[in-house]
Amino acid sequence: MSDSEYILELKDVTKIFPGVKALNKVRFQLKRGEVHALMGENGAGKSTFIKVITGVHAAEEGHMYLEGKEVHFRGPKDALDAGIAAVYQHPTTYPTLSVAENIFMGHEIIRGGMIQWKEMNAKAQELLDRLHANFKPSDEIGALSVAQQQMTEIAKALSTNAKIIILDEPTASLTSNESEELYKIVEQLRDEGVSIIFISHRFEDMYRLASRVTVFRDSQYIGTYDVDKITNADLIKAMVGREISDMYPKPEVNIGEEIFRIENMSRTGFFKDVSMNVRAGEIVGITGLVGAGRTEVMESVCGITKPDSGRVFLEGKQLNVKKPEDSMKAGIVLLPENRSTEGLILSWGLGRNVTLPIQKKLAKGGIFNDLKKENALSKKFLEEVDTKAVTIFDPASSLSGGNQQKVVVAKALAQDNMKLVIMDEPTKGVDVGAKAEIYAIMGELAKKGFGIIMISSEMPEILGMSDRVYVMCNGKVTGCLNRSEATQERILKLSMEQGKSDRKEAVQ
Amino acid sequence: MAGKSGRSIKAEEKLTAKKLLFTWEGALILLFIAVNIFNMSISQSYTFANVLREMPKFLAEMFMVLPMAYILVLGDIDISVGSIVCLTGTLTCYISNAGAPFPVVILGCLGAGLLCGAFNGFVTTSFPELPSMITTLGSQIIFRGIAEIYLGGGGSVSYTNTKQIMPLSTKLGKTVPVIILVVILAAVIFTVILQRTTFGRSLYAIGSNKVSAFYAGVDVKRCRFIAYVLMGFMAGMCGLFLTAYTYGANTTTGQGFEMEVIAMCVFGGIASTGGKGTLVGGIIAGLIITLLRIALGQANVNSQMILVIVGALLIIAVLIPGIKGRIDEMRKLKAAA
Repeated sequence: MSDSEYILELKDVTKIFPGVKALNKVRFQLKRGEVHALMGENGAGKSTFIKVITGVHAAEEGHMYLEGKEVHFRGPKDALDAGIAAVYQHPTTYPTLSVAENIFMGHEIIRGGMIQWKEMNAKAQELLDRLHANFKPSDEIGALSVAQQQMTEIAKALSTNAKIIILDEPTASLTSNESEELYKIVEQLRDEGVSIIFISHRFEDMYRLASRVTVFRDSQYIGTYDVDKITNADLIKAMVGREISDMYPKPEVNIGEEIFRIENMSRTGFFKDVSMNVRAGEIVGITGLVGAGRTEVMESVCGITKPDSGRVFLEGKQLNVKKPEDSMKAGIVLLPENRSTEGLILSWGLGRNVTLPIQKKLAKGGIFNDLKKENALSKKFLEEVDTKAVTIFDPASSLSGGNQQKVVVAKALAQDNMKLVIMDEPTKGVDVGAKAEIYAIMGELAKKGFGIIMISSEMPEILGMSDRVYVMCNGKVTGCLNRSEATQERILKLSMEQGKSDRKEAVQ
Repeated sequence: MAGKSGRSIKAEEKLTAKKLLFTWEGALILLFIAVNIFNMSISQSYTFANVLREMPKFLAEMFMVLPMAYILVLGDIDISVGSIVCLTGTLTCYISNAGAPFPVVILGCLGAGLLCGAFNGFVTTSFPELPSMITTLGSQIIFRGIAEIYLGGGGSVSYTNTKQIMPLSTKLGKTVPVIILVVILAAVIFTVILQRTTFGRSLYAIGSNKVSAFYAGVDVKRCRFIAYVLMGFMAGMCGLFLTAYTYGANTTTGQGFEMEVIAMCVFGGIASTGGKGTLVGGIIAGLIITLLRIALGQANVNSQMILVIVGALLIIAVLIPGIKGRIDEMRKLKAAA
């Protein structure tokens, strides 16, 4: 074995959890100084694999070699000491502590039993400078953006002199600008000789950064490919196990009359003077950078927050929405951005989740829950969206992200008075296979004549699915493009039209 | 629509005896039987007739177990109820002593409880960022303070027209105390509402995930308000019946009731973190504690010692699910290996 070529090598690693093999004889080879993408659908075993590398889980079988020498980690500390650090999608920081405190958490600089604050702050500043960060070691972590928190995590990894850094879906909650910053940092680290394992659902990330990609499927190793030699279709096939002929099955629909209109809606500090409309059978995309006010507008439409001014019309009638129940009664259904915290009750069975919004309609006399009716109905809709589940009583927490999203969709479909459906980042954190299925459902809904609003940061899905695209920037609608006019460049330009200095003026 | 794979999802749930037994309620029923056997072994006078006679003085608290279950399912807590009992008990005496007819006395007592609950509900829902532990800690002090203003320097008041309130502490057909019938009626109503209605389901939804429940159209504010109002009303009920058995109130009336009631609920499997447990469990747990107290009292165990025993039992009960979980986990690991 040449210890020069591979800094990290895993052979036939098997990890068993109660009842399931989470990893089944998995292989992996990481070259020195390369960016290696790790891809696969949700539940393919990527996270477990990372946890084995970082010493969180001990593998039942298999060998791990670090720089040619076999190693056995007994805990995360062993992995850290060996120079392996991980940065997760949602940084596990201590929000009320400072950046410096977070960076040195667990390995504070201590002399004579006292924490050396000056030295720690100076070292932290050094690390931040190296990453060209625009914040200070004394800033409170909770006040920083997700991107800045991730940067802190990377600084933390560097502070332990990590030779291998694992980035677990780092771009999932970043805007395209922030992602670009992250790419630069990753490239810089690579050039400095750090080896990087990069997990992501976004093909963009992989093409941009990685030289090689390893694919896992169903807890098994499928293959390792050179990024410039594999085609998109082949990669999807490796990940999903079947071919997906049409990723964006946008149907040709005769678009009908206007069914929904927002007129001059404003909410101080969030958005100003927003007007939009949606016609029957139309898929309207809303895009822009994260924080442009897209979600906030729709939350105000649905009664989750109160707008300061503005009017909302559904089928020509002005709505008076005070709470979510009102907008649902009118026929507006929202699929919130965060499945686990807003869309579902994870500890509940799937069936209960699906029928929660309509339990009053199904109940006998509007009071007593009719379990038979509820179970039959939720079974019907869960099957309609092809949820991978055994019974309707399975807790929602037991499903993968993509399947949870399907439950959220089933929950929306069950509301039979639905006229307009608002999907906020419907494919966020969802794997390729389930993504295609969600687009298919969206297409079906359009065919049936519903109005559809899709909030999304993902350019391919905005371009692939929308009939019309509204672009927002700093709380304002900066443009509306037809399907034929919409290009990546035009959308990007519109979403960054105003400089940051205009922000205050824009929303006040 | 989709559904290409034609995968079928089961919608039937088979309830086997074994499954039922492995629920917390099933375990409580076994414990209930065990406690009764234990009681009979330590006390000669632990007979059905005797228990029926002694039970009423403990039963007033059962009124509060019912709505407290709602509050806990919501993920909230109400520690002001002991003070509401004191305040309503005191008011009952004053209203009657002022010469009011009995229906007015009852209405005044229950109405005062309801108002206290509405106050709690208003404050708690108006300031959703404050934990209910804090808001009701405040009202606990306020309510007892008001009661003490009425009670004045003497610190106690008697119900002078004892004949008037007698009907509440009598026995129907000379065997079944009125209070038992009222408790059973209330228990049935509260249980059906929590386990079978949309309102009950909404309470569980809020306790499990307040934000998701709100997004799904559940009127979180209203549900919480109603739960607090019911809590206050039933605390008034407790105050009324307590007065019927003690013919008076003083500054220590109802003291510590909130903790006993919460303890019964938690023992019954209703987690204080919200969204879990059933009222059936809470009621059985309440009965177990009540019966144990009666038997220990009959066996001349002193009252301080009884508290120690009940407290220890509670801690064990709360620990069991954790131990059970760990055993299950170990079994699964063994099975997989």
